[in-house]
Amino acid sequence: MQQSKALAFALVAPAMLVLAATLGWPLVQAVQLSLQDVRVIGSPGTFVGFDNYRHILGGSAFWNAAGLSIVWVVANAVLQTALALVAALILNEKFPGVRVARTWIILAWIVPTVVVVVIWRWLFSTSGGMINPLLIQSGLVDRPIGFFATPWTAMATLVFVNSWRWFPFIALMILAGLTRIPDDLHEAARIDGANAWQRFRRITWPLLAPTLVVLAVIGTMLSFNVFDIIWLLTSGGPAGGSRTLPVLIYETAFKSYRLSEAATISVLATLLLMAFAVIATRALDRDGAER
Amino acid sequence: MKTILKLALATTMLMPAAAFAQDAVEITLWHMEQPPHRVARVQELIDAFNAANPGIVVTQEPQNWGEVYAKTPAALAAGQGPDMLFAIPDFTPILKDIGALTSVEEFVEELDAKHDFVDSTVEAYSYDGGVWAVPLYNMTMNLWYRKSVLEEAGIEVPSTWEEWRDAAETLSVDGVSGMGLPANRQLYTDQTVYSVMTNGGATEIYNEDGTLRFDNPETVASFEFYNDMLQFSPADSTSWTWGEAEACFSSRSCAMVMQFSVIATYDTQAEGDAADLGVAPIPSRDGEEHNTIAYANAVMLLSTDDEKMEASKKFVSFLLEPENYGRFLNMEPGLFMPVTADGATAETFWSDPMVEKYREQIETIIDNGQNGRLFGFTSGRTFPSIAAISAQNIIAETLQAVAVSGQSPADAVAAGQARMEEAAR
Repeated sequence: MQQSKALAFALVAPAMLVLAATLGWPLVQAVQLSLQDVRVIGSPGTFVGFDNYRHILGGSAFWNAAGLSIVWVVANAVLQTALALVAALILNEKFPGVRVARTWIILAWIVPTVVVVVIWRWLFSTSGGMINPLLIQSGLVDRPIGFFATPWTAMATLVFVNSWRWFPFIALMILAGLTRIPDDLHEAARIDGANAWQRFRRITWPLLAPTLVVLAVIGTMLSFNVFDIIWLLTSGGPAGGSRTLPVLIYETAFKSYRLSEAATISVLATLLLMAFAVIATRALDRDGAER
Repeated sequence: MKTILKLALATTMLMPAAAFAQDAVEITLWHMEQPPHRVARVQELIDAFNAANPGIVVTQEPQNWGEVYAKTPAALAAGQGPDMLFAIPDFTPILKDIGALTSVEEFVEELDAKHDFVDSTVEAYSYDGGVWAVPLYNMTMNLWYRKSVLEEAGIEVPSTWEEWRDAAETLSVDGVSGMGLPANRQLYTDQTVYSVMTNGGATEIYNEDGTLRFDNPETVASFEFYNDMLQFSPADSTSWTWGEAEACFSSRSCAMVMQFSVIATYDTQAEGDAADLGVAPIPSRDGEEHNTIAYANAVMLLSTDDEKMEASKKFVSFLLEPENYGRFLNMEPGLFMPVTADGATAETFWSDPMVEKYREQIETIIDNGQNGRLFGFTSGRTFPSIAAISAQNIIAETLQAVAVSGQSPADAVAAGQARMEEAAR
């Protein structure tokens, strides 16, 4: 027993060392930086204790960004899961070309972010874009919509673009979960007279739920840290309407030149995510034990 | 045996190149002129310089304005910074404050004696007892329109704010936006808003003692006017940068735009009719003196190695020689204007086919630039704290508070001054 414990430790140790070097050390550095008053990267700083924490937690910028991060994460989780679930259910059916469709759907996910941004920026533009003329010609609107013109529309558009980019990945994960549900169960239910909705509600959904919960946890972590799409499309605007925590950290460090304050926000954001991860992991453990 | 012979031959062939690379002084240029045709023109000049100076190898690494403020201090801290870096006036205080710059006053004096710099271009880089960059080219904001469009609408070129608003309103028909104006929290919006401010009596944002005077009635009136004009601009103006304005004008979706130059896109992506392209000074509140934002881009010399510093100076001197300078400026014809007396008359500048075609417009741009101003660098005074204010685009942020969040101009300007004071602390 003692030997197998030692072997387990030895096998895990390299991975733990890599994690300590790539995650632990930068985190220690960030905490250290957050207790100083460094402004421009590379310039010296002095120890200021918890002044930065008092300043950040006492201002509105952090709380606004934290609120927007929650909106961003929840909206993405709902939209991505809905799109992915529909796509996975369709791809789980047997129809001609399903193999091609399963390959094709992944294309949106493998396109580089910058390309995604350029494409959507052009599509949404009021000067030469395609979406506004389509909406006007179909009679849905009578004048071009500024998709990035107001905080609300900008956030909604960003969520849409980000979900469009990520839903194929989640769809494939759900599809993997769906393929693990035995056909016999559906067949038996069909013989018993259950319709499609009843089969989905009583068989597919309960058996898929654990996969969805795991995806929700992973998706939250991934969505929370999304910076590239937001920065490239709106830079956190307009009027700070899409300034989530990662955007605020970047702006504070590299536009306001307050590196230590940015480190403080990073530490606070890390604590938020760690708290979420601990709660989610415990919930998953409890769920697994019950099953 | 054959393999050994091949290896020996290859080694012999590579040796001179390796020896050359070891001896040559290698210097890196970072600039933010990213469009491919500008990169190609800079490369042509670099190739010519490298050929004429066998002991020096210059390489370019194009950057973008959105990231260079963040990237440069990080690169310098990591010892991976460039030897030469293009700059605008408010960029230099950031690098000077972290000790990355040494004064190039003597070098600028030497170049001035030879080429005669426009004084204001050097002044913007002169403070704290030094000169922190070498001016390279001027940029001036202008009002662009199509003469035929104004004629068809029976409109004169606007000179006052009232005429400007009337023109924008009249031209806003059939899905066309009368006046394309940005309202993004970005440098372009800082530039256009300041162009309106300086035509509304709000040129100075600092008092003589260095305290801020952004919050004043003239600034409030300027923001009120700008916000009013935004109703004639496309709905997505809140996310515009320079490219969107040019695209809007080229596609005829905007009747007028405020821009440094639209010549290149108008010539290549629109009708390219030089006789129909109009350029005018930015209208002013009373129609009398017309001001605009104008400033010189410059190059900072960052190397701490003497040999590299000398090589960098040699390259900058090469660029400012009249036989090269016109070609350098015309990497984007009609956008970059000379900062030296001999450059302004250089045959290489005026003989470019595009410059010849749009000579009338380019001469107007040069005239407009005579009344050029830049926030934080006015009346012969320089206030280095403008660097932090500019980096955070607080002028544009103030506009967004009015145009997007619906604050009154007076409240937004007061909040803008508070933000500037916070940024400058």
